[in-house]
Amino acid sequence: MTTTTFALYAPAAAPFFAALLALVLPWRPAAWAGMLAALSILASGVVLAVWVSADGALSAGPLRADALTVWMLLVIGAVAAIAAAATISYLRHETTTATRRATRRYLVLAQLFVACMSLAVLANNLGLLWVAVEATTIVTAFLVGHKRDRPSIEAAWKYVVLCSVGIAIAFLGTVCVYAASVAAGGHGITALDWTHLTATASSLNPDLIRLAAGLILLGFGTKAGLAPMHSWLPDAHSQAPAPVSALMSGVLLSVAMYAILRYRTITDTAIGPGYTRTLLLIAGLASLAVAAVLLIAQRDYKRLLAYSSIEHMGLVALGVAIGTKLAIAAALLHILGHGLAKAAAFAGAGQILRLTGSSHIDAIRGLTARAPALAGTYGIGVIALLGLPPFSLFASELGLARAGVTAGYGWAIAAAFTLILLAFIAIARHTTAMILGAPVPNPSPQSMTPDRVTTVMPLILALAVTAAIGITLGPLHHVLDAATAIAGGR
Amino acid sequence: MSAWIAAAGQALLIALLAPIVTGVTRAVRARLEGRAGGRIAQPWRDIRKLLRKPPTSPEGAGVFFSAAPVVLMSTSLLIAATVPFVSTAGIAGSADLIVVVGLLLLGTVALALAGLDTGTAFGGMGSSREMTIAALVEPTLLLAVFALSTRVGTTNLGVIVAAGASDPAAVFTPASLLAFAALAIATLAETARIPVDNPSTHLELTMVHEAMILEYSGRDLALVEWASAMRLAILLGLLANLFAPWGVATGTTWTAVVIAAAVLTVKMCGLATLLAAAEVYAAKLRLFRVPELLAGSFAMALLAVLTSYILA
Amino acid sequence: MSAQISSQLLNVACGLFLLTAVGVLWRRQVSALITLLTVQGVALAAIAVILAEQHRSAEAATIAIGVGLLKAVVIPWMLRRVHQQLPDARETRPLVNVSTSLLAAAGLTLLAYSAARPLVALAPTASAKATPVGIAVILIGFFLAATRQRAISQIIGLLLVDNGIAAVAFLATGGVPLIVELGVSVDLALAVLVLQILTSHLHTAFGPTDLDELRELHD
Repeated sequence: MTTTTFALYAPAAAPFFAALLALVLPWRPAAWAGMLAALSILASGVVLAVWVSADGALSAGPLRADALTVWMLLVIGAVAAIAAAATISYLRHETTTATRRATRRYLVLAQLFVACMSLAVLANNLGLLWVAVEATTIVTAFLVGHKRDRPSIEAAWKYVVLCSVGIAIAFLGTVCVYAASVAAGGHGITALDWTHLTATASSLNPDLIRLAAGLILLGFGTKAGLAPMHSWLPDAHSQAPAPVSALMSGVLLSVAMYAILRYRTITDTAIGPGYTRTLLLIAGLASLAVAAVLLIAQRDYKRLLAYSSIEHMGLVALGVAIGTKLAIAAALLHILGHGLAKAAAFAGAGQILRLTGSSHIDAIRGLTARAPALAGTYGIGVIALLGLPPFSLFASELGLARAGVTAGYGWAIAAAFTLILLAFIAIARHTTAMILGAPVPNPSPQSMTPDRVTTVMPLILALAVTAAIGITLGPLHHVLDAATAIAGGR
Repeated sequence: MSAWIAAAGQALLIALLAPIVTGVTRAVRARLEGRAGGRIAQPWRDIRKLLRKPPTSPEGAGVFFSAAPVVLMSTSLLIAATVPFVSTAGIAGSADLIVVVGLLLLGTVALALAGLDTGTAFGGMGSSREMTIAALVEPTLLLAVFALSTRVGTTNLGVIVAAGASDPAAVFTPASLLAFAALAIATLAETARIPVDNPSTHLELTMVHEAMILEYSGRDLALVEWASAMRLAILLGLLANLFAPWGVATGTTWTAVVIAAAVLTVKMCGLATLLAAAEVYAAKLRLFRVPELLAGSFAMALLAVLTSYILA
Repeated sequence: MSAQISSQLLNVACGLFLLTAVGVLWRRQVSALITLLTVQGVALAAIAVILAEQHRSAEAATIAIGVGLLKAVVIPWMLRRVHQQLPDARETRPLVNVSTSLLAAAGLTLLAYSAARPLVALAPTASAKATPVGIAVILIGFFLAATRQRAISQIIGLLLVDNGIAAVAFLATGGVPLIVELGVSVDLALAVLVLQILTSHLHTAFGPTDLDELRELHD
């Protein structure tokens, strides 16, 4: 096995082996194996980044890595590492002898989830990409329903049904692309290869590709939580255990967005950018509107974060819709920044939930007085999500605005930023109420858990990275440039 | 001229055969239920006996009541004469699908009006139920045969049957499968069989057809019963010739016509046996579920039309 | 097999495929629905086998047999197990009455006919002309999932959608590549398994699996 093959397979294989280990090991080493797997994804990402910047693209069997893949791998690795750290502290408090089986299931499924996402971004074949994305739905179903109480089972049911339907539509789109490719002379499995499709895109039947593009957007858009197919998202994100919410919000949505990006390079050549641009603009603005409206009266802080994810995905969709070099780069940067900050915020929210036993905003007042370290971290995480400097979301939102105005979409940008302002006010108001203010007189018994700095250290690290990226991209600059070029930024 | 004689002969054949077909369904049913049952010719004897008796009519019944049996009988005879049962040549070849469905509807409406005309509660109830059913059945009939007509490009029944007879394999298309299912259900509803109506009940909660003709007696009843038997025979014959068009004569030579008449008799009796056997194993639907069944058959007929375009 | 007979058999299989979808909307008894779904699986496998024979492709034949086993044997068996676990859910509860749903099905088929024009126009062969049937089944599946109350009806709606997509794949392209089909089939079987387990969880948490009861989460 060459080192290239090893580096390409490692991001999917490492979490897979961690899942196998979780079957036999006690939870503590198994959780650490998960952390190791996440770090090896990150390491593969770095190694591949170096090679890709020299060679352009690497492939081995059905897997292929270019700069866009590498960028996504870095996001997955980073968020998976935060989630793994959160998992360790989550399980420390949740695991008793009675729940050992549930814990084992949780660890196995969470690792498989990460493996599927890595596979999705590494797959060169669009059919394989679909299979991997659908597999994420299946493995996360029981993670969402982990608590086995009425709300979590309801959320899991809605999640599986809606996402399966959505992803089925995406498969229909894949079939249409395959039909077009076969008609244009493609053959067998290679007819669905992204490399083959981008090379032959101009000879594909435009009517069929238009149909396919609509179906793909609808299908993967469901998985990415774009309005109006978003209704599963707040339920699933609020009911899943916090580390899983971090993974789902931080990367799963982005992986679906990545699928849309890959397809868009094909449809742009086949039918021009106008059609998908219109659809994505509508979906993006609708997502922003839905998120802003529902954030105002939100009473549950995990749902608050979920709606904030819809808002950010709406922004990314807007960036992809505008499609200039700057806009795509901003969208990709936004994916990274949002992944890191949202994962940290969800992990913090999980600790708040454990500390107070309630996910209601009203039940939590004056968190600073009870758990200053946690309150501070959560507060900074939310500030990062609000897009304030120095965090990278500020840079990407600014880039997006500039790109939009330059490309002549000033009206869309104006509408989007009005909605973002609304969301900003809503999130800021709710979070301030949680963190500051007078404490609730009768804290619940769970509040005996000590507020240790070690549990928030990984989150602080993640937020520090987000801030650092906001100031300078450093070596990531080359990767982002190359990824933007691949994603069709002109 | 010979065409007119052939048509009259066909009408006569159907008229004679119809009570026998009804007799077959009753006999088969009785046998399957373990009863001795009447003879196959029993319906004929009933009609003969009724024909000898003078009719009575309820007080205040008007012209609709007295005209209905005649209208019903004459529309049935007209259809029996024109539809290509025996031969697709001659006058039979000029039968248009829409005319046939229109004539069937005319008979149904005449009977429903007669039921209302009696002024009794049963008659009115039967009529309203019958119209509910007819409103869904007639479009189904129309659409189902229309689906078959797209294959040949005309609504002329003679041409449709002739096309089927010359190329029997072409009958097995999805469109004709769907149309067959739709037409079969429509036939059950139109001829008041289980599961839409029960031909052997006099229980007021379940009656449809029997409720409408409750006030008839003597000669009038004989005509109504006879005409109803003919409608059953006509629809079964239509079903047989559209979906199993073997043995239908395409000319007017004597031998071909005689063979075709014999084949038709066998096909009708075969279908009647199947119908009776199916009735033994089925239960009547509750009245409010009947529209579901009929809407289903309508949907199938519509799908048949669509697929005849899609899967041509 | 002559080309004419094989294309006629294909048409019959497509007709049966569509008819079973309409039948699923029509019947209320869950056991009848499962039987219809089995028949539909057989029809789908028949479509795949006929097309594999037409293309003379061993790969396609393997896929056809696999799909037949999955859709006509494995999945109906799994559904019957759900059904046995939940004896109180013998009949589905339509939100839209059956007559209206049937008329809607006819309308959806019309829609499918117009939506499939690009696919048909691409390769005007007998099999490609039949793709609207697959799309109609997809739309009927969506309709079913959206208008039925019981958990098991939603699973059945999802399976209709999936069967329809598989039919489109076979009819329009002669079937997606083996490896993709394999992944799709495994995903589908697992999804049904997940839904089966979730149904029993729903049953223990909510009592009868009436989705009306799912009102815990809202804004």
